[in-house]
Amino acid sequence: MLRPVFSRIRATLRRRRLDAEFDDEVQAHLDMLKERFIRLGMSPAEAFYAARRQFGGVTQMKENLRERRALPPIDVLVEDARHAFRQLRKAKGFTASAALTLALGIGASTAVFAVLDTVVLRPLPFAEPGRLMAFAPIDRRGTPHPTSLSYPNFFDFRAQNRVFEHLVSYRGGERFTLTDSLPAIQVGAEIVSWDLFQMLGVRPELGRGFRPEEEKPGTHVAVLSHALWRSRFGGDPGILGRRIRINGSPFTVAGVAPAGFRFPVEDTTIELWTTVSADEEMLYQRGARVLDAIGRLKPGVTAERARAQMDQIAGALARQYPDDNKNVAKTMVMPELERLTGRSRKPLWILLGAVGLVLLIACANVANLLLARSTDRAREFTLRTAIGASRPALVRQLLVESLMLGLVGSAGGVLLAWVMLKAILPLAGESIPRIWQTGIDGRALVFAALVAILTSVLFSVAPAIQVVRADLAGALKEGAANIARGRHRFRSALVVAQITLGLMLLVGAELLIASFLHLAQRDPGFRTDHLLTFDIALPDAQYNKAAQVAFCDRMIERLRAIPGVRAAATGMPLPLGGDEMSVSFDIEQRPAAAPDRPHSDIAIVTPGYFGAMRIPLLKGRDFTERDTADAPRVLVVNEAFARQYFPGEDVIGKRIEPGATNGRQDEMQMREIVGVVGNAKQAALSADPEPIYYFPYKQLSWGVGTIVLRTAVPPREVESAARTVLAGLDKQVPMYKVRTGQELSATAIARPRFQMVLMVSFAVFALLLTVAGLYGVLSYAVARRRREIGLRMALGAGRGEILALIFREAMQLVAAGLALGLAGAAIGGRLLESMVYGIQPGDPIFVAAACCAMVITSIAAAYVPAKQAAAVDPMRALRSE
Amino acid sequence: MPKDRSEVLQGTLDLMVLKTLDALGPLHGYGVARRLEQLSEELLRLNEGTVYASLLRLAQKGWIRSEWGASENKRKARFYSITRAGRKQLAREAESWERISGVIGRVLRLESQG
Repeated sequence: MLRPVFSRIRATLRRRRLDAEFDDEVQAHLDMLKERFIRLGMSPAEAFYAARRQFGGVTQMKENLRERRALPPIDVLVEDARHAFRQLRKAKGFTASAALTLALGIGASTAVFAVLDTVVLRPLPFAEPGRLMAFAPIDRRGTPHPTSLSYPNFFDFRAQNRVFEHLVSYRGGERFTLTDSLPAIQVGAEIVSWDLFQMLGVRPELGRGFRPEEEKPGTHVAVLSHALWRSRFGGDPGILGRRIRINGSPFTVAGVAPAGFRFPVEDTTIELWTTVSADEEMLYQRGARVLDAIGRLKPGVTAERARAQMDQIAGALARQYPDDNKNVAKTMVMPELERLTGRSRKPLWILLGAVGLVLLIACANVANLLLARSTDRAREFTLRTAIGASRPALVRQLLVESLMLGLVGSAGGVLLAWVMLKAILPLAGESIPRIWQTGIDGRALVFAALVAILTSVLFSVAPAIQVVRADLAGALKEGAANIARGRHRFRSALVVAQITLGLMLLVGAELLIASFLHLAQRDPGFRTDHLLTFDIALPDAQYNKAAQVAFCDRMIERLRAIPGVRAAATGMPLPLGGDEMSVSFDIEQRPAAAPDRPHSDIAIVTPGYFGAMRIPLLKGRDFTERDTADAPRVLVVNEAFARQYFPGEDVIGKRIEPGATNGRQDEMQMREIVGVVGNAKQAALSADPEPIYYFPYKQLSWGVGTIVLRTAVPPREVESAARTVLAGLDKQVPMYKVRTGQELSATAIARPRFQMVLMVSFAVFALLLTVAGLYGVLSYAVARRRREIGLRMALGAGRGEILALIFREAMQLVAAGLALGLAGAAIGGRLLESMVYGIQPGDPIFVAAACCAMVITSIAAAYVPAKQAAAVDPMRALRSE
Repeated sequence: MPKDRSEVLQGTLDLMVLKTLDALGPLHGYGVARRLEQLSEELLRLNEGTVYASLLRLAQKGWIRSEWGASENKRKARFYSITRAGRKQLAREAESWERISGVIGRVLRLESQG
């Protein structure tokens, strides 16, 4: 198919030589013919003419072949472009509206494509990323779901499998404190197996990375991020082998990661990597599931085969250690990219689909504009045909015009995409992995250019067909009513299609708005206003557990004394914070074997926490200062916990034995439930309240929780006072992750909000474009039916009847569009099911509301043309033709 | 309609040129023209220039190729020869041509009977 095109391109490059060669060839032919005629007895002069006669028109043939051999010469294309430019400049209104429409469509789709490309399509930034697999055991309780690994289990998987080149555990969520001569800073740290860099195929920029023996407890080595190395150590290459103080202990710097290196990819806060030796306490606890794992498959091994072998190992471990492993006898091996992008993939594709609809609507609008214009230009085309332009030349002219329009549109679109990304990326925050890397890069530009070309061809097809088909002579004679009618029908069909697509987008936007409002207005179970939260981390080396508790007490006391602070407390983890800790427990009345015990979320809080958070105490008592380590062990549970585990009973006074202890020497103990509080949401997106039980912080000292301050003034106003308090206690303890309650809840629903904002802006674009399209078609209809309207008025039709006439035409189009749109909206609603919370996508109220919105805006769009129609002066209208 | 008729003729001419090159081996444009004249026994009178249009079409599709050589009377001339793709195309075309002409022949006979 393409061969002739390539041949023409080649010929174009050698145009001059080929022309000369062909001249020679023709000359030779003529000479041979002439000689032949001379042999047959003609005189040379006779033979010359006979040869020419036999050959046919020599010059014509040369011209003809020259044209066919190569591409249209550049100067022709340039001339086309010039002409197109003149045409576009002449019709400024048309050009502006078409280019703007295109910019809107192309810009929105380029922005969404850039996000999708960055988040989903781009491979992981490591060597041979296809062989990187996420590995996790599957917990069979409830819906089987991937869960975390314990160190002993991980070590067994690592030692026994034959399918992974490297298998690496990683655990984050730790903040390490760097204390050197500079003021202390807090950095995110990831605790990883020694072969992380080997597994990823990444060479550290400096140094060697870790060695196997550095997993041994007691070794302290660290690899620094490039940014940390530059900012904290001035990019000093002498850093290698140096000792730096981390959490009060000396760590040897084993390397510096290359610039831009991130692991885990989705975590932007990690600045430091250290080996599993940091987790000394957990290395021997088979029940402590805290690890994620990632591995590199050996060449040629499939994920399926790897999973089969890991399943075998898991099965053996479950038999060997039933108490800890009975419920995790299966495993999951899935491409790391899929794990990373799994939850974002479908919504982003759906958004790209939605923005594709916007683009189609934009194309329909431009096609509509072009059709209206080509009607006006029929005379121009006829004239050009009359003076010798061929139809292909006219079509080429149209295509060049469209392409220019497309290019202008896509330039505007790229600009718009850039602005859009600036506006929407902060909305997503960190709720979508990698999204912060999104920018207008080469791939996005190529996408924009391709879309521009594709749409140019798409929207110039209709006008081009008309040029080819139109009886051009007829157009000169005016009154080509048939053509006009067909053209009008086509334009109407375009508007119907726009309404159909627009309705789908409207319904989609409504669903996401409703879902978002549902999430945002849902009572989180605590008051988010007048609340400030922040974290601190005490270096383990300087603060043992008793010192941590003492520090916490003194800090809370001083924080409470800040003017404007009503209450201060700590909690770990906070609701909506994205962190959850789950611990199994045994109910005194109904003891069960270890693997069959229920488990639920826990939190560790200080006395006064429920008051500070405004989580209502429903029954029993709150924790007090008397609930110390030596006092009887107590717990508070939430309502959901009481209902789920003690239905119909009074939960106060019941005793359970949680599987959480203060350390290796501590025994598990029965603890008495002394109070019931309201349900505070741990996870923002889950539908039902989750059971949770609370420990007083002195009876389970796992470190200092997040500080919460209930304020009488706007919460940010007490921030600096809080910093002063902290510095007064210990200059080396930094404060981080300072957030108001409202920011906390906003972050929790960032992803639904991001999706909603995009979808709503698409729907608004769609509605605007559709209204513009409808307006255009109706205005044209009024102009076309001027005579008819005049006639009706002359025959006695009133203003109202004329208005009704135009509105009827509008509503016919809208009704057809809505009818088709209903089917589309049903399909769209089903697609969105995974993106909405707490609402029924199939609820007819959504479709009904969208239809109403469409009808109302359509009436608005029809109003101006209808008024024009009613204002027709019958005398002038009838006289005009 | 005149456009359609010329298209049929173009296709026919291309087929004949292709067959000629297949049967006689490399030829220059003049040679092709002589051969066609001979074969058609003056039934097909064509401007010999159109042979070159046909040769260009065939070359652009990759069915023939050309190279410069010396003609019988020591003139520089471009010789055209059929390519492998050209032979395949020729086989296809010849088959469909025979099928169509067979059908047309039958239809025409049928009419003359009726």
